Amino acid sequence: METAMSELQILSQYIRDETGYEGELAADLDLLEKHILDSFNIVQWAMFIQAEFQIELEAEELVRDNLSSLSRVMALIDSKRAAAAKPN
Amino acid sequence: MLGRSIPEFLCDIAERRPEKIAIVSDERSATFSQLYEEALATAECLRGIGVETGDRVGICMEKSLDQVSVILGVLCANAVVVPILPRLKQPNIRHIIENSGMVALVTDSERMGEVVEFGDLARLIIGHGQLEQDWPNLPYMRRFIRPQMFFNRISNDNAAIIYSSGSTGRPKGILISHRNLADGADIVAHYLGTNEDDRIACVLSFNFDYGLNQIWQTLRKGATLYLHNLALPNDLFALLGVEQITALPVMPVIITKMFDKRLKLATGQRDFSSLRYVCSTGGRLSDDMLRDLKTTFPDAKIYSMFGLTEAFRSTYLDPSKIDSHPTSIGKAIPDNQVFVMDENGDECPPNVVGELVHRGATVTKGYWHDPESTAKVFRSHPRFPGETLVFSGDKVRKDEEGYLYFLARGDEMIKTRGFRVSPTEVEVEVVRHPEIVDAVAFAVPNIAIGEDVACAYTTVTRQPISEQILKQYLKANLPSHMVPAYLIHFDSFPITGNAGKLDRKSIKEAAFERLRVQAAVHA
Repeated sequence: METAMSELQILSQYIRDETGYEGELAADLDLLEKHILDSFNIVQWAMFIQAEFQIELEAEELVRDNLSSLSRVMALIDSKRAAAAKPN
Repeated sequence: MLGRSIPEFLCDIAERRPEKIAIVSDERSATFSQLYEEALATAECLRGIGVETGDRVGICMEKSLDQVSVILGVLCANAVVVPILPRLKQPNIRHIIENSGMVALVTDSERMGEVVEFGDLARLIIGHGQLEQDWPNLPYMRRFIRPQMFFNRISNDNAAIIYSSGSTGRPKGILISHRNLADGADIVAHYLGTNEDDRIACVLSFNFDYGLNQIWQTLRKGATLYLHNLALPNDLFALLGVEQITALPVMPVIITKMFDKRLKLATGQRDFSSLRYVCSTGGRLSDDMLRDLKTTFPDAKIYSMFGLTEAFRSTYLDPSKIDSHPTSIGKAIPDNQVFVMDENGDECPPNVVGELVHRGATVTKGYWHDPESTAKVFRSHPRFPGETLVFSGDKVRKDEEGYLYFLARGDEMIKTRGFRVSPTEVEVEVVRHPEIVDAVAFAVPNIAIGEDVACAYTTVTRQPISEQILKQYLKANLPSHMVPAYLIHFDSFPITGNAGKLDRKSIKEAAFERLRVQAAVHA
C-alpha cells in the first residue's frame, strides 16, 4: 500500500531533485551554509513551499532564518497554519 | 614609508582609530587594531609555514572576517594574493594554481575536500573553520603569535594576481601592484566621497577587484564594512535599515536578485534614508533596475560605473546625469584618461565607434607570465612616450559632451546588411519590454546578409513571450536592421564564476544549440 509522503519527505525530495544533493539531509542542516541552496535557487525554494503547502509568506517571513533548514521550514509552515486556524 | 600600499593603510588606520569597528560579520566583528593584529599574526604564521617575499598565495574562501584577515595577512607577509572563487570548476582551479605557481593555498576547513587533490602543488592551509589534524589552521595559530610588522615592499611590487576568464581560452592572471591597489582606493573613495562615517554593505565577493576595493577604501578612510551573503533580498533590506547603511556597492545581477518580483519585499517597511549611494559595475543598468533603485532608495545617488580588471575601473557616470544619460558609462575616473581610438591610434570624432583605450594610475602591470597577451593589450602610444596604456578591445563611442557609451566587447559587434550593430543597443531596447528581465544579443552567421541579429532573453514569469508579439513590439521600437531575427527564451541565465556577470559565452552556446535543434526539426 502506498502511503503519502510526509511533509518533511516532500521538502527533502524537492531539495534532492532541484539541487542534485546526495549527501545526508538532517532536518537542522543549514542548507545555505552548506551551499546546497544559494541566492539563485532559494527563491524557487520559497515559491515551492508556498505553492506546495498553500501558504502565503509575507515579506517579514521571507528571510534566511525561516528557510535555511528543513526543520525551520516545518516550523514556519506550522506557525502559518496555526495563525490561519485561529480566528482573530 | 610613504603609505602607498594596503599594509601601510592598515597600519596607519590602526594607529589613528584603533577602537573603531572596521569589519562586521554575522560571526564576529573586529576593530582596526584587532584587524591589524590578526593580519600581522597571519603574516607571521605564513612566514613560519615557509611563505617568502614575492610568493603567490591562493585564497579560496567564502566571505568572512577570517578571509579579510588572510587577504591582509598575505599582503603583510610581502606575498601576493591570488583569489580563487570557491565555485570554480576543478580544472580552472588547477590552472590558476599551476599558472600562478602559488606556494600555498588557504581555504575553509569545510572546503578542504574539494582542494585536497592539489596538495602536491601547493601547501594547503585552513583560513577559516575547525581544526584538522593534517593542515595548519591560521585562526588557531594566530592566538600563539606576537604580531609584528615586517612588511617591506615598495609600491611597485606585486600585490595580487586576479584571474579573469576572457571570452576565449583559459583565465588570464592580471598582475596588480601595491600602488595600483592604493590608487584604486584613493580614486574611488574620492569620487564616492567615502569617509569614516560610512557604513558600507559588502554583498560583493572578495575574489575580484570590485569587492576587494571595498576593503581598501574601508582601511583608507576608516569606514565600517558589513559583510553580507545575499540569499533573500529581505535580509539585505533588514541590514540596510537596521545598521543604517550609507553605501551599497552592487552589480546588475545583485539588483535583479534584490527586486525579484516573485517575492514579497520588505522595501516599504524599512528606513533607508541613511543610504548615500548605490554604485554598480559589471554590466548595464536597465530601466527596470534604475526604477527599482530610485523608488526604493529615493535619497541615494546612483553611480553607474565601468571597467575591466586590466585597468580596474575606467569610467563612472556623475549621478546627476543618470536621468539624462541613463545608458552612458560616464567619463574617465579621476587621475585617468579614456580615449576612443580608431585602428591607427587616432582619436575618433564624436559618435564614431572606436576602441576604449585607458591611460593612468589604475593601469595594471600586465598578464602574469604571458608576454604575448600582454603585448596585445598593454601597449605604448606615440602620444605618450614611455607609458603603457590598456587597449581594451571594447567598442565604445563618445557623444559631443564627452559621455561614453559601451557598445560591445571587441569581437561581439554584429555585422548585418552592411550595418554594424551593437549588441548592447539591441539589449537595452529588448529589456524595455515590461516582461523581460535580461537579454543577450549576438550574431548568427547568415551567408546572404553577413550575420543575423539573435537575442536570448529571460522573463519575469519565466514563460516565453509569443515570438510574433515580441517581434512586433521590437519592430515598433528598433530600426529594422536591429530587430532580432531569432528570439530565444531562457528560464534563467548562467552567471560567470569569477565575477558574477552574465555568462555571455555559455548563453550564446546554449542559444546556438537550441537554434540548431530547431533548424533540424523544421528541415
